[in-house]
Amino acid sequence: MADQIPVIELQHVDKHYGKLHVLRDINLSVHKGEVLVLIGPSGSGKSTLCRTINRLETIDSGQILIEGKELPQEGRELAQMRAEIGMVFQSFNLFAHKTILQNVTLGPIEVLKTPKNIAEAEAMELLDRVGVAEQAHKVPAQLSGGQQQRVAIARSLAMHPKAMLFDEPTSALDPEMINEVLEVMVELAREGMTMVVVTHEMNFARRVSNRVVFMADGQIVEEGTPDEFFDHPKSDRAKDFLDSIRGH
Amino acid sequence: MSAHATSMRDALYEAPGPRTRRLTIIGTTISMILVAIGLALVVRQFYVTGQLDAKYWSFFAEWSTWRYLLKGFVGTLEVAAMAAAISLVLGILLMLGRISSNRLLAIVTRIIIDFFRGVPSLLLIYFFYLVIPQYGIRLPSFWMITLPVALAASGVLAEVFRAGVNAVPKGQTEAALSIGLTPGKTMRKIVLPQALRIVVPSLISQLVVVVKDTTVAYVVSYPDLMQNARVLISNHDSVVSMYLVAAVIYILINFAINQLSIYMARRSGTPIISRTTENPT
Repeated sequence: MADQIPVIELQHVDKHYGKLHVLRDINLSVHKGEVLVLIGPSGSGKSTLCRTINRLETIDSGQILIEGKELPQEGRELAQMRAEIGMVFQSFNLFAHKTILQNVTLGPIEVLKTPKNIAEAEAMELLDRVGVAEQAHKVPAQLSGGQQQRVAIARSLAMHPKAMLFDEPTSALDPEMINEVLEVMVELAREGMTMVVVTHEMNFARRVSNRVVFMADGQIVEEGTPDEFFDHPKSDRAKDFLDSIRGH
Repeated sequence: MSAHATSMRDALYEAPGPRTRRLTIIGTTISMILVAIGLALVVRQFYVTGQLDAKYWSFFAEWSTWRYLLKGFVGTLEVAAMAAAISLVLGILLMLGRISSNRLLAIVTRIIIDFFRGVPSLLLIYFFYLVIPQYGIRLPSFWMITLPVALAASGVLAEVFRAGVNAVPKGQTEAALSIGLTPGKTMRKIVLPQALRIVVPSLISQLVVVVKDTTVAYVVSYPDLMQNARVLISNHDSVVSMYLVAAVIYILINFAINQLSIYMARRSGTPIISRTTENPT
Protein backbone atom coordinates (compact mmCIF):
# COMPACT_ATOMS: atom_id res chain seq x y z
CA MET A 1 0.00 0.00 0.00
CA ALA A 2 2.82 2.38 0.79
CA ASP A 3 3.80 2.99 -2.82
CA GLN A 4 0.23 3.78 -3.87
CA ILE A 5 -0.95 7.38 -4.03
CA PRO A 6 -3.06 8.02 -0.92
CA VAL A 7 -6.72 8.93 -1.50
CA ILE A 8 -6.39 11.73 1.06
CA GLU A 9 -3.14 13.29 2.13
CA LEU A 10 -2.50 16.22 4.47
CA GLN A 11 0.95 17.81 4.57
CA HIS A 12 1.96 20.29 7.25
CA VAL A 13 -1.58 21.61 7.62
CA ASP A 14 -1.95 24.57 9.96
CA LYS A 15 -5.05 26.52 10.93
CA HIS A 16 -5.83 29.30 13.38
CA TYR A 17 -9.12 30.66 14.63
CA GLY A 18 -7.88 34.11 15.57
CA LYS A 19 -5.28 33.41 18.25
CA LEU A 20 -6.37 29.81 18.72
CA HIS A 21 -4.07 27.37 16.93
CA VAL A 22 -6.61 24.67 16.03
CA LEU A 23 -4.51 22.54 13.70
CA ARG A 24 -0.75 22.26 14.23
CA ASP A 25 1.39 20.79 11.50
CA ILE A 26 -0.95 17.94 10.66
CA ASN A 27 0.50 15.19 8.47
CA LEU A 28 -1.80 12.37 7.60
CA SER A 29 -2.51 10.06 4.71
CA VAL A 30 -5.43 7.76 4.09
CA HIS A 31 -5.07 4.97 1.56
CA LYS A 32 -7.70 3.30 -0.55
CA GLY A 33 -9.95 1.04 1.49
CA GLU A 34 -8.59 2.29 4.77
CA VAL A 35 -10.86 3.19 7.68
CA LEU A 36 -9.28 5.86 9.81
CA VAL A 37 -10.77 6.84 13.15
CA LEU A 38 -10.03 10.29 14.57
CA ILE A 39 -10.41 10.38 18.31
CA GLY A 40 -9.66 12.94 20.98
CA PRO A 41 -11.14 15.28 23.58
CA SER A 42 -13.54 17.98 22.44
CA GLY A 43 -11.73 21.01 21.13
CA SER A 44 -8.83 18.86 19.98
CA GLY A 45 -9.41 19.84 16.35
CA LYS A 46 -10.60 16.47 15.06
CA SER A 47 -13.86 17.79 13.55
CA THR A 48 -12.05 20.77 12.06
CA LEU A 49 -9.49 18.43 10.52
CA CYS A 50 -12.27 16.30 9.04
CA ARG A 51 -13.98 19.37 7.59
CA THR A 52 -10.83 20.74 5.97
CA ILE A 53 -10.67 17.67 3.73
CA ASN A 54 -13.60 18.93 1.62
CA ARG A 55 -12.82 22.55 2.36
CA LEU A 56 -15.81 23.30 4.57
CA GLU A 57 -12.97 24.75 6.64
CA THR A 58 -10.11 26.56 4.98
CA ILE A 59 -6.50 26.09 6.05
CA ASP A 60 -3.80 28.70 6.63
CA SER A 61 -0.84 26.76 5.32
CA GLY A 62 0.16 23.29 4.21
CA GLN A 63 -1.39 21.16 1.53
CA ILE A 64 -4.33 18.82 1.15
CA LEU A 65 -4.08 16.35 -1.72
CA ILE A 66 -6.89 14.21 -3.06
CA GLU A 67 -5.47 11.32 -5.07
CA GLY A 68 -2.26 13.30 -5.41
CA LYS A 69 -3.96 16.46 -6.72
CA GLU A 70 -4.19 19.60 -4.65
CA LEU A 71 -7.64 20.43 -3.29
CA PRO A 72 -9.05 23.25 -5.45
CA GLN A 73 -9.77 26.56 -3.70
CA GLU A 74 -13.05 27.53 -5.35
CA GLY A 75 -15.39 27.33 -8.32
CA ARG A 76 -16.44 24.33 -10.34
CA GLU A 77 -13.23 22.43 -9.58
CA LEU A 78 -13.93 22.63 -5.86
CA ALA A 79 -17.57 21.59 -6.35
CA GLN A 80 -16.38 18.70 -8.52
CA MET A 81 -13.92 17.56 -5.86
CA ARG A 82 -16.53 17.83 -3.12
CA ALA A 83 -18.88 15.69 -5.18
CA GLU A 84 -16.26 12.93 -5.07
CA ILE A 85 -15.95 12.96 -1.27
CA GLY A 86 -18.99 12.04 0.79
CA MET A 87 -19.71 13.86 4.02
CA VAL A 88 -21.96 12.81 6.88
CA PHE A 89 -22.67 15.40 9.56
CA GLN A 90 -23.41 15.15 13.25
CA SER A 91 -26.77 16.86 12.77
CA PHE A 92 -27.69 14.94 9.55
CA ASN A 93 -28.46 18.15 7.61
CA LEU A 94 -31.03 16.55 5.34
CA PHE A 95 -32.67 19.12 3.08
CA ALA A 96 -35.71 20.01 5.15
CA HIS A 97 -37.97 21.03 2.25
CA LYS A 98 -37.36 17.93 0.15
CA THR A 99 -38.60 14.37 0.48
CA ILE A 100 -36.22 11.59 1.47
CA LEU A 101 -36.08 10.40 -2.14
CA GLN A 102 -35.38 13.94 -3.41
CA ASN A 103 -32.64 14.31 -0.80
CA VAL A 104 -30.86 11.32 -2.31
CA THR A 105 -31.50 12.13 -5.98
CA LEU A 106 -30.65 15.85 -5.83
CA GLY A 107 -26.88 15.36 -6.13
CA PRO A 108 -26.97 12.80 -8.95
CA ILE A 109 -29.52 14.85 -10.96
CA GLU A 110 -27.99 18.29 -10.43
CA VAL A 111 -24.29 17.44 -10.30
CA LEU A 112 -23.78 14.15 -12.13
CA LYS A 113 -26.61 14.93 -14.61
CA THR A 114 -28.05 11.45 -14.14
CA PRO A 115 -31.51 11.12 -15.77
CA LYS A 116 -34.24 11.40 -13.15
CA ASN A 117 -35.65 7.88 -13.51
CA ILE A 118 -32.21 6.27 -13.22
CA ALA A 119 -31.31 8.47 -10.24
CA GLU A 120 -34.57 7.51 -8.54
CA ALA A 121 -34.12 3.80 -9.16
CA GLU A 122 -30.62 3.97 -7.75
CA ALA A 123 -31.75 6.08 -4.79
CA MET A 124 -34.44 3.53 -3.94
CA GLU A 125 -31.79 0.80 -4.00
CA LEU A 126 -29.59 2.80 -1.63
CA LEU A 127 -32.49 3.63 0.68
CA ASP A 128 -33.36 -0.05 0.73
CA ARG A 129 -29.77 -0.88 1.57
CA VAL A 130 -29.79 1.43 4.60
CA GLY A 131 -33.25 0.20 5.58
CA VAL A 132 -35.42 3.28 5.03
CA ALA A 133 -36.93 2.59 1.61
CA GLU A 134 -40.48 2.70 2.95
CA GLN A 135 -39.90 6.30 4.15
CA ALA A 136 -38.91 7.52 0.67
CA HIS A 137 -41.84 9.91 0.23
CA LYS A 138 -41.78 11.46 3.69
CA VAL A 139 -39.93 14.63 4.63
CA PRO A 140 -36.93 14.52 7.02
CA ALA A 141 -38.85 15.92 10.01
CA GLN A 142 -41.05 12.82 9.98
CA LEU A 143 -38.11 10.43 10.49
CA SER A 144 -36.23 9.47 13.64
CA GLY A 145 -32.66 10.65 14.08
CA GLY A 146 -31.26 7.22 13.26
CA GLN A 147 -33.34 7.03 10.09
CA GLN A 148 -32.30 10.54 9.06
CA GLN A 149 -28.63 9.72 9.51
CA ARG A 150 -29.00 6.57 7.40
CA VAL A 151 -30.64 8.67 4.69
CA ALA A 152 -27.70 11.11 4.93
CA ILE A 153 -25.34 8.20 4.31
CA ALA A 154 -27.43 7.10 1.32
CA ARG A 155 -27.35 10.68 0.00
CA SER A 156 -23.55 10.62 0.10
CA LEU A 157 -23.33 7.16 -1.45
CA ALA A 158 -25.51 8.25 -4.37
CA MET A 159 -22.59 10.38 -5.54
CA HIS A 160 -20.32 7.30 -5.78
CA PRO A 161 -17.69 8.93 -3.59
CA LYS A 162 -14.01 7.95 -3.55
CA ALA A 163 -13.95 8.45 0.19
CA MET A 164 -16.36 9.35 2.93
CA LEU A 165 -15.98 11.69 5.89
CA PHE A 166 -18.04 11.11 9.02
CA ASP A 167 -18.09 14.02 11.48
CA GLU A 168 -19.36 12.53 14.75
CA PRO A 169 -22.18 10.71 12.97
CA THR A 170 -23.72 9.21 16.11
CA SER A 171 -23.18 12.01 18.64
CA ALA A 172 -26.61 13.58 18.14
CA LEU A 173 -28.49 10.28 18.30
CA ASP A 174 -30.50 8.74 21.09
CA PRO A 175 -28.60 5.70 22.44
CA GLU A 176 -30.99 3.16 20.95
CA MET A 177 -30.44 4.55 17.46
CA ILE A 178 -26.66 4.56 17.48
CA ASN A 179 -26.29 0.92 16.48
CA GLU A 180 -28.52 1.12 13.41
CA VAL A 181 -26.25 3.83 12.03
CA LEU A 182 -23.03 2.07 13.04
CA GLU A 183 -24.23 -1.12 11.34
CA VAL A 184 -24.53 0.74 8.04
CA MET A 185 -21.02 2.14 8.54
CA VAL A 186 -19.57 -1.26 9.39
CA GLU A 187 -21.14 -2.62 6.23
CA LEU A 188 -19.57 0.18 4.18
CA ALA A 189 -16.16 -0.48 5.70
CA ARG A 190 -16.47 -4.18 4.87
CA GLU A 191 -17.19 -3.29 1.25
CA GLY A 192 -13.91 -1.43 1.08
CA MET A 193 -15.02 2.22 1.34
CA THR A 194 -12.24 4.61 2.27
CA MET A 195 -13.45 6.33 5.42
CA VAL A 196 -12.37 9.02 7.85
CA VAL A 197 -14.51 8.83 10.97
CA VAL A 198 -14.55 11.26 13.86
CA THR A 199 -16.17 9.32 16.68
CA HIS A 200 -16.12 8.35 20.32
CA GLU A 201 -17.53 4.88 19.57
CA MET A 202 -14.67 2.69 20.72
CA ASN A 203 -16.36 -0.55 19.76
CA PHE A 204 -16.77 0.70 16.23
CA ALA A 205 -13.14 1.81 16.15
CA ARG A 206 -11.96 -1.60 17.35
CA ARG A 207 -14.17 -3.59 15.03
CA VAL A 208 -13.59 -1.85 11.74
CA SER A 209 -10.82 0.72 11.76
CA ASN A 210 -7.32 0.08 10.43
CA ARG A 211 -5.81 2.98 12.24
CA VAL A 212 -6.70 5.20 15.15
CA VAL A 213 -5.38 8.75 15.22
CA PHE A 214 -5.46 10.46 18.59
CA MET A 215 -5.55 14.25 18.60
CA ALA A 216 -5.19 16.79 21.39
CA ASP A 217 -4.74 20.56 21.25
CA GLY A 218 -4.68 20.60 17.46
CA GLN A 219 -1.90 18.07 17.18
CA ILE A 220 -1.70 14.41 16.30
CA VAL A 221 -0.41 12.96 19.54
CA GLU A 222 -0.21 9.35 18.54
CA GLU A 223 -1.52 6.87 16.03
CA GLY A 224 -1.61 3.14 15.72
CA THR A 225 -3.79 0.10 15.16
CA PRO A 226 -6.92 0.05 17.32
CA ASP A 227 -5.52 -2.73 19.49
CA GLU A 228 -2.23 -0.90 20.05
CA PHE A 229 -3.98 2.35 20.81
CA PHE A 230 -6.75 1.13 23.06
CA ASP A 231 -4.74 -1.51 24.93
CA HIS A 232 -1.30 0.09 25.06
CA PRO A 233 -1.56 3.84 24.62
CA LYS A 234 1.87 5.41 24.63
CA SER A 235 1.23 9.01 25.61
CA ASP A 236 -0.14 10.26 28.92
CA ARG A 237 -2.69 12.39 27.09
CA ALA A 238 -4.12 9.31 25.40
CA LYS A 239 -4.10 7.31 28.64
CA ASP A 240 -5.97 10.12 30.45
CA PHE A 241 -8.46 10.43 27.61
CA LEU A 242 -9.15 6.69 27.46
CA ASP A 243 -9.59 6.57 31.22
CA SER A 244 -12.07 9.42 31.09
CA ILE A 245 -14.26 7.94 28.35
CA ARG A 246 -14.20 4.49 29.89
CA GLY A 247 -15.48 6.11 33.07
CA HIS A 248 -14.21 3.55 35.56
CA MET B 1 -45.56 27.39 15.22
CA SER B 2 -47.01 23.94 15.58
CA ALA B 3 -50.55 22.69 15.32
CA HIS B 4 -50.94 22.99 19.10
CA ALA B 5 -52.87 25.94 20.43
CA THR B 6 -49.65 27.61 21.56
CA SER B 7 -49.85 31.30 20.80
CA MET B 8 -47.06 33.86 20.97
CA ARG B 9 -48.73 35.08 24.17
CA ASP B 10 -48.46 31.67 25.79
CA ALA B 11 -44.81 31.46 24.83
CA LEU B 12 -43.92 34.89 26.21
CA TYR B 13 -45.93 35.11 29.40
CA GLU B 14 -46.73 32.62 32.10
CA ALA B 15 -50.37 31.62 32.56
CA PRO B 16 -52.16 34.23 34.72
CA GLY B 17 -53.15 33.31 38.28
CA PRO B 18 -56.55 34.06 39.89
CA ARG B 19 -55.62 37.58 41.05
CA THR B 20 -54.24 38.56 37.64
CA ARG B 21 -57.35 37.12 35.97
CA ARG B 22 -59.60 39.26 38.21
CA LEU B 23 -57.53 42.35 37.46
CA THR B 24 -57.73 41.58 33.76
CA ILE B 25 -61.52 41.33 33.88
CA ILE B 26 -61.81 44.64 35.78
CA GLY B 27 -59.42 46.36 33.40
CA THR B 28 -61.22 45.02 30.35
CA THR B 29 -64.62 46.17 31.67
CA ILE B 30 -63.41 49.67 32.48
CA SER B 31 -61.72 50.15 29.12
CA MET B 32 -64.81 48.86 27.26
CA ILE B 33 -66.98 51.38 29.11
CA LEU B 34 -64.52 54.17 28.22
CA VAL B 35 -64.51 53.13 24.55
CA ALA B 36 -68.33 53.09 24.52
CA ILE B 37 -68.46 56.57 26.07
CA GLY B 38 -65.94 57.85 23.52
CA LEU B 39 -67.96 56.41 20.62
CA ALA B 40 -71.15 57.93 22.00
CA LEU B 41 -69.43 61.33 22.22
CA VAL B 42 -68.29 61.08 18.59
CA VAL B 43 -71.77 60.17 17.36
CA ARG B 44 -73.29 62.96 19.50
CA GLN B 45 -70.83 65.46 18.05
CA PHE B 46 -71.68 64.27 14.51
CA TYR B 47 -75.35 64.71 15.35
CA VAL B 48 -74.85 68.17 16.83
CA THR B 49 -72.76 69.38 13.89
CA GLY B 50 -75.23 67.90 11.43
CA GLN B 51 -72.84 65.28 9.98
CA LEU B 52 -75.57 62.69 10.22
CA ASP B 53 -77.90 64.77 8.04
CA ALA B 54 -79.34 62.94 5.07
CA LYS B 55 -77.61 65.23 2.56
CA TYR B 56 -74.21 63.86 3.59
CA TRP B 57 -75.28 60.24 3.26
CA SER B 58 -78.01 60.09 0.63
CA PHE B 59 -75.60 59.89 -2.31
CA PHE B 60 -74.45 56.50 -1.04
CA ALA B 61 -77.85 55.23 -2.12
CA GLU B 62 -76.95 55.96 -5.74
CA TRP B 63 -75.35 53.27 -7.87
CA SER B 64 -73.11 55.79 -9.61
CA THR B 65 -71.37 56.60 -6.31
CA TRP B 66 -70.51 52.95 -5.73
CA ARG B 67 -69.50 52.42 -9.33
CA TYR B 68 -67.07 55.29 -9.01
CA LEU B 69 -65.73 53.98 -5.71
CA LEU B 70 -65.42 50.49 -7.18
CA LYS B 71 -63.36 51.93 -10.04
CA GLY B 72 -61.08 53.50 -7.47
CA PHE B 73 -60.97 50.24 -5.52
CA VAL B 74 -59.85 48.39 -8.65
CA GLY B 75 -57.28 51.13 -9.30
CA THR B 76 -55.89 50.68 -5.79
CA LEU B 77 -55.70 46.91 -6.23
CA GLU B 78 -53.92 47.30 -9.59
CA VAL B 79 -51.28 49.63 -8.22
CA ALA B 80 -50.83 47.55 -5.06
CA ALA B 81 -50.56 44.26 -6.97
CA MET B 82 -48.08 45.61 -9.52
CA ALA B 83 -46.01 47.36 -6.84
CA ALA B 84 -45.99 44.18 -4.75
CA ALA B 85 -44.87 42.06 -7.73
CA ILE B 86 -42.07 44.45 -8.65
CA SER B 87 -40.89 44.82 -5.06
CA LEU B 88 -40.79 41.04 -4.58
CA VAL B 89 -38.48 40.53 -7.55
CA LEU B 90 -36.40 43.61 -6.76
CA GLY B 91 -36.26 42.67 -3.08
CA ILE B 92 -34.81 39.23 -3.88
CA LEU B 93 -32.27 40.71 -6.29
CA LEU B 94 -31.19 43.37 -3.79
CA MET B 95 -30.90 40.75 -1.05
CA LEU B 96 -28.74 38.53 -3.27
CA GLY B 97 -26.48 41.50 -3.94
CA ARG B 98 -26.37 42.38 -0.26
CA ILE B 99 -25.18 38.90 0.80
CA SER B 100 -22.87 38.48 -2.18
CA SER B 101 -19.22 37.71 -1.48
CA ASN B 102 -18.38 40.46 -3.98
CA ARG B 103 -17.59 43.31 -1.59
CA LEU B 104 -18.33 46.14 -4.03
CA LEU B 105 -21.70 44.69 -5.04
CA ALA B 106 -22.56 44.10 -1.38
CA ILE B 107 -21.76 47.69 -0.43
CA VAL B 108 -23.60 49.23 -3.39
CA THR B 109 -26.76 47.16 -2.81
CA ARG B 110 -26.60 47.90 0.89
CA ILE B 111 -26.61 51.63 0.15
CA ILE B 112 -29.54 51.18 -2.26
CA ILE B 113 -31.49 49.16 0.31
CA ASP B 114 -30.87 51.63 3.11
CA PHE B 115 -31.80 54.51 0.81
CA PHE B 116 -35.15 53.04 -0.22
CA ARG B 117 -35.86 51.97 3.34
CA GLY B 118 -34.99 55.33 4.77
CA VAL B 119 -36.61 57.73 2.32
CA PRO B 120 -40.37 58.33 2.81
CA SER B 121 -42.32 56.95 -0.13
CA LEU B 122 -44.03 60.31 -0.62
CA LEU B 123 -40.61 61.82 -1.38
CA LEU B 124 -39.98 59.11 -3.97
CA ILE B 125 -43.38 59.84 -5.50
CA TYR B 126 -42.54 63.56 -5.78
CA PHE B 127 -39.28 62.55 -7.42
CA PHE B 128 -41.12 60.55 -10.09
CA TYR B 129 -43.81 63.23 -10.41
CA LEU B 130 -41.72 66.38 -10.42
CA VAL B 131 -38.09 65.54 -11.18
CA ILE B 132 -38.19 62.79 -13.77
CA PRO B 133 -40.51 64.68 -16.19
CA GLN B 134 -37.92 67.47 -16.26
CA TYR B 135 -35.66 65.07 -18.11
CA GLY B 136 -38.31 64.58 -20.75
CA ILE B 137 -39.52 61.23 -19.47
CA ARG B 138 -43.32 61.28 -19.35
CA LEU B 139 -44.56 58.30 -17.35
CA PRO B 140 -48.27 57.46 -17.15
CA SER B 141 -49.67 58.30 -13.71
CA PHE B 142 -50.04 54.56 -12.99
CA TRP B 143 -46.26 54.16 -13.07
CA MET B 144 -45.62 57.43 -11.25
CA ILE B 145 -47.34 55.92 -8.21
CA THR B 146 -46.45 52.23 -8.71
CA LEU B 147 -42.70 52.58 -9.17
CA PRO B 148 -41.93 54.67 -6.07
CA VAL B 149 -44.17 52.52 -3.89
CA ALA B 150 -42.45 49.40 -5.28
CA LEU B 151 -38.97 50.85 -4.73
CA ALA B 152 -39.75 51.80 -1.15
CA ALA B 153 -41.13 48.34 -0.46
CA SER B 154 -38.23 46.54 -2.17
CA GLY B 155 -35.76 47.94 0.35
CA VAL B 156 -37.80 46.56 3.22
CA LEU B 157 -38.41 43.24 1.45
CA ALA B 158 -34.69 42.81 0.77
CA GLU B 159 -34.11 42.90 4.52
CA VAL B 160 -37.04 40.54 5.14
CA PHE B 161 -35.56 38.07 2.64
CA ARG B 162 -32.13 38.43 4.21
CA ALA B 163 -33.56 37.59 7.61
CA GLY B 164 -35.13 34.50 6.00
CA VAL B 165 -31.87 33.40 4.41
CA ASN B 166 -30.06 33.85 7.72
CA ALA B 167 -32.73 31.76 9.44
CA VAL B 168 -31.97 28.70 7.27
CA PRO B 169 -29.54 26.54 9.30
CA LYS B 170 -25.94 26.63 8.10
CA GLY B 171 -25.88 22.85 7.90
CA GLN B 172 -28.24 22.99 4.91
CA THR B 173 -25.66 24.97 2.95
CA GLU B 174 -22.80 22.74 4.07
CA ALA B 175 -24.67 19.60 3.06
CA ALA B 176 -25.49 21.04 -0.35
CA LEU B 177 -21.89 22.12 -0.95
CA SER B 178 -20.57 18.76 0.15
CA ILE B 179 -22.57 16.87 -2.47
CA GLY B 180 -20.96 19.11 -5.06
CA LEU B 181 -23.53 21.86 -5.67
CA THR B 182 -21.96 25.20 -6.57
CA PRO B 183 -22.64 28.09 -4.16
CA GLY B 184 -25.11 29.60 -6.65
CA LYS B 185 -27.06 26.39 -7.03
CA THR B 186 -27.00 25.88 -3.27
CA MET B 187 -28.68 29.27 -2.87
CA ARG B 188 -31.29 28.58 -5.57
CA LYS B 189 -32.15 24.96 -4.78
CA ILE B 190 -31.67 24.70 -1.03
CA VAL B 191 -31.49 28.03 0.81
CA LEU B 192 -33.94 30.31 -1.03
CA PRO B 193 -36.89 27.88 -1.11
CA GLN B 194 -36.60 27.40 2.65
CA ALA B 195 -36.03 31.11 3.31
CA LEU B 196 -39.15 32.02 1.30
CA ARG B 197 -41.21 29.59 3.31
CA ILE B 198 -39.99 31.23 6.51
CA VAL B 199 -40.76 34.80 5.45
CA VAL B 200 -44.14 34.32 3.71
CA PRO B 201 -46.11 35.69 6.69
CA SER B 202 -43.92 38.82 6.97
CA LEU B 203 -44.11 39.32 3.20
CA ILE B 204 -47.87 39.41 3.30
CA SER B 205 -47.90 41.80 6.23
CA GLN B 206 -45.65 44.04 4.16
CA LEU B 207 -48.42 44.06 1.52
CA VAL B 208 -50.52 46.07 3.97
CA VAL B 209 -47.86 48.78 3.91
CA VAL B 210 -47.88 48.73 0.11
CA VAL B 211 -51.67 49.17 0.04
CA LYS B 212 -51.45 52.07 2.45
CA ASP B 213 -48.60 53.66 0.46
CA THR B 214 -50.81 53.72 -2.64
CA THR B 215 -53.20 56.16 -0.95
CA VAL B 216 -50.97 59.07 -1.91
CA ALA B 217 -51.80 58.33 -5.58
CA TYR B 218 -53.82 61.56 -5.62
CA VAL B 219 -50.50 63.43 -5.77
CA VAL B 220 -50.09 62.15 -9.33
CA SER B 221 -53.88 62.21 -10.00
CA TYR B 222 -54.09 58.48 -10.46
CA PRO B 223 -57.70 57.38 -9.93
CA ASP B 224 -57.33 55.03 -6.95
CA LEU B 225 -59.83 54.61 -4.14
CA MET B 226 -58.50 57.62 -2.25
CA GLN B 227 -58.44 59.92 -5.28
CA ASN B 228 -61.97 58.94 -6.29
CA ALA B 229 -63.16 59.44 -2.72
CA ARG B 230 -61.72 62.97 -2.86
CA VAL B 231 -63.58 63.67 -6.08
CA LEU B 232 -66.83 62.49 -4.47
CA ILE B 233 -66.11 64.67 -1.45
CA SER B 234 -65.83 67.81 -3.57
CA ASN B 235 -68.93 66.85 -5.55
CA HIS B 236 -71.11 66.24 -2.51
CA ASP B 237 -69.34 68.39 0.08
CA SER B 238 -69.20 65.39 2.41
CA VAL B 239 -65.79 65.10 4.04
CA VAL B 240 -66.67 63.06 7.11
CA SER B 241 -69.07 60.53 5.61
CA MET B 242 -66.92 59.83 2.56
CA TYR B 243 -63.67 59.46 4.50
CA LEU B 244 -65.44 57.16 6.96
CA VAL B 245 -66.58 54.89 4.14
CA ALA B 246 -63.14 54.96 2.48
CA ALA B 247 -61.49 54.11 5.79
CA VAL B 248 -63.80 51.14 6.24
CA ILE B 249 -62.94 49.87 2.75
CA TYR B 250 -59.19 50.18 3.43
CA ILE B 251 -59.62 48.41 6.74
CA LEU B 252 -61.45 45.59 4.98
CA ILE B 253 -58.72 45.23 2.35
CA ASN B 254 -55.99 45.08 4.98
CA PHE B 255 -58.05 42.80 7.19
CA ALA B 256 -58.31 40.38 4.27
CA ILE B 257 -54.55 40.56 3.73
CA ASN B 258 -53.89 39.96 7.41
CA GLN B 259 -56.21 36.95 7.43
CA LEU B 260 -54.26 35.60 4.46
CA SER B 261 -50.99 36.05 6.32
CA ILE B 262 -52.32 34.27 9.40
CA TYR B 263 -53.54 31.44 7.21
CA MET B 264 -50.15 31.18 5.46
CA ALA B 265 -48.29 31.31 8.77
CA ARG B 266 -50.37 28.45 10.07
CA ARG B 267 -49.84 26.47 6.91
CA SER B 268 -46.07 26.89 6.76
CA GLY B 269 -45.79 26.15 10.47
CA THR B 270 -47.29 22.70 10.21
CA PRO B 271 -45.08 19.86 9.02
CA ILE B 272 -45.29 19.32 5.30
CA ILE B 273 -46.82 15.94 4.63
CA SER B 274 -46.36 14.51 1.19
CA ARG B 275 -49.32 13.16 -0.72
CA THR B 276 -48.19 9.56 -0.96
CA THR B 277 -47.53 8.74 2.67
CA GLU B 278 -49.63 7.22 5.39
CA ASN B 279 -49.14 8.50 8.92
CA PRO B 280 -46.25 10.57 10.16
CA THR B 281 -44.18 8.55 12.61
